[in-house]
Amino acid sequence: MNDALITLDSLSIGYNGQPVMSGISLSIARNSFTAILGANGSGKSTLLKTLLGLLPPVAGRIDTTQSPTGAPLVFGYVPQAVQFDPIYLLTGFDVALMGTYGRVRPGRFVPSAERAFTRECLRAAGAEEFARKRFSKLSGGQKQRVLIARALATRPDVLVLDEPTAGVDAEATHTVLEFISRTREERQITVLLVTHDFAAIRHHAQQVLWLHQGKVLQGAPDELLNSERMAEIFEIGIG
Amino acid sequence: METLRLILSPDFLLRNSVYTSVLVGFSCPLVGVFLVMRRLVFMGVALPQVSSTGVAIALSAPLWFGVKLSGHPSESAHMLAFIGSMTSSLAAILALAFMERRGRGQPEGRLGTAYVVAASLSILLLSKNPYGEIGWLDMLKGEVITISDFDLVLTAATLTLVLATLGLVHKELLLVSFDRPMAITLRKNVVFWDVLLYLLIGLTVSMAVLSVGPLIAFGFLLIPALTAHLFARNMRQFTILASLCGGAMAFLGFWVAYSVDLPVGPTDVVLLGVLYAAGWFIAKLLRGGSK
Repeated sequence: MNDALITLDSLSIGYNGQPVMSGISLSIARNSFTAILGANGSGKSTLLKTLLGLLPPVAGRIDTTQSPTGAPLVFGYVPQAVQFDPIYLLTGFDVALMGTYGRVRPGRFVPSAERAFTRECLRAAGAEEFARKRFSKLSGGQKQRVLIARALATRPDVLVLDEPTAGVDAEATHTVLEFISRTREERQITVLLVTHDFAAIRHHAQQVLWLHQGKVLQGAPDELLNSERMAEIFEIGIG
Repeated sequence: METLRLILSPDFLLRNSVYTSVLVGFSCPLVGVFLVMRRLVFMGVALPQVSSTGVAIALSAPLWFGVKLSGHPSESAHMLAFIGSMTSSLAAILALAFMERRGRGQPEGRLGTAYVVAASLSILLLSKNPYGEIGWLDMLKGEVITISDFDLVLTAATLTLVLATLGLVHKELLLVSFDRPMAITLRKNVVFWDVLLYLLIGLTVSMAVLSVGPLIAFGFLLIPALTAHLFARNMRQFTILASLCGGAMAFLGFWVAYSVDLPVGPTDVVLLGVLYAAGWFIAKLLRGGSK
């Protein structure tokens, strides 16, 4: 990887100083599509949170290059839609608009240009028609689209998605992944996507990080997601 | 109507009490909205009580150190009470928030303990205070009767500061409350915004406790926000409706209390309770009708 955007150097990740995974050294290329795979509890979310700065590394370093403007990298984070409290009376538009808050200083109203850009992001994510509805009342797939629009509204260098297809049917999964791939190409952004879904991701990802028994296996989907290699990883014979 | 005309008259003897009640009624729900959204309703109960204990400590401190103060709630006593109230509510809210973030123990247990210990401590401190029975107990009970021009100006200035700050940084406070991880990825200093919100809550609670007492402060913090949440369709409506409910009920409460010679604070809270119950039934009927 010559054009590394993010480099992890002997990184240990975990909670309260207790590592759940150690010795992670890898790099993520600029404008690439990387899928992070692994079973429940394998450390996918911990790795994601550490990359986003939500958790401090237990040890090691995360080096990021600057964005083309010289500013620190902007992460457009798409969390799982189920985590939001329905008590907030926010519309889909209100939620997507939050993506612009990184550029609007405290004490200032969101300018009309940023509002127009948010509407553009909602349109691009296919969320325009339900953007006026209460966010908590949208379906799982609709919420996911609003959250993707919000992440796009940050004008991200890296789009980080945590299980964006969880609870979404196969057809919608295909549409969401197609959209993410297209967006990556059009906007020249790097995509990091956490998923369980091996099959769906193999046609979109350029690189796979497979978290398995405290180790990270890195490779192209065809190298890592073929039956021989998978059997080797799971230490089972092939019939 | 004659009573209403009298209350609205600029020469009305208790006009400062009317203005203060309405100011507290309008302002408390604005921070109460954040307590409701962050699901810190129990903190809204405990905090005014802790704040009133701060008043009791501040008023007792001069006696412990041999400094003599006037027996009536003079300006210096009121300022002292404000400092005590502010310090204790801010210390309590920061301590409770810190324990909440560490995620150990039961939050309800901590808040319940804070409430009951604070209430008992207030009574103990004032029972050993020779001036307590004269005017300071009234201050803690929230008798909205003897409000001087100085008290009114202090209340108005504090609440204006809170309102202006809330208006200016509303989007940051909303973002940090709604989606903390998102705020961190946008490089917002979430600890700063949390502390600022707690400071605003602490200031409002302190002022409300001094003006109308802990029970009524609790009522104005939470009930208008809970009522408004039944009908509001977005955050702007939620905030404005909660504030209008609080202000209107504060005025109505004063009017009713003055008309039939009742204590103002408890009248306000009962009216708020009636409004919430009525709102709940109406909202249920409206939802049933829309199905």
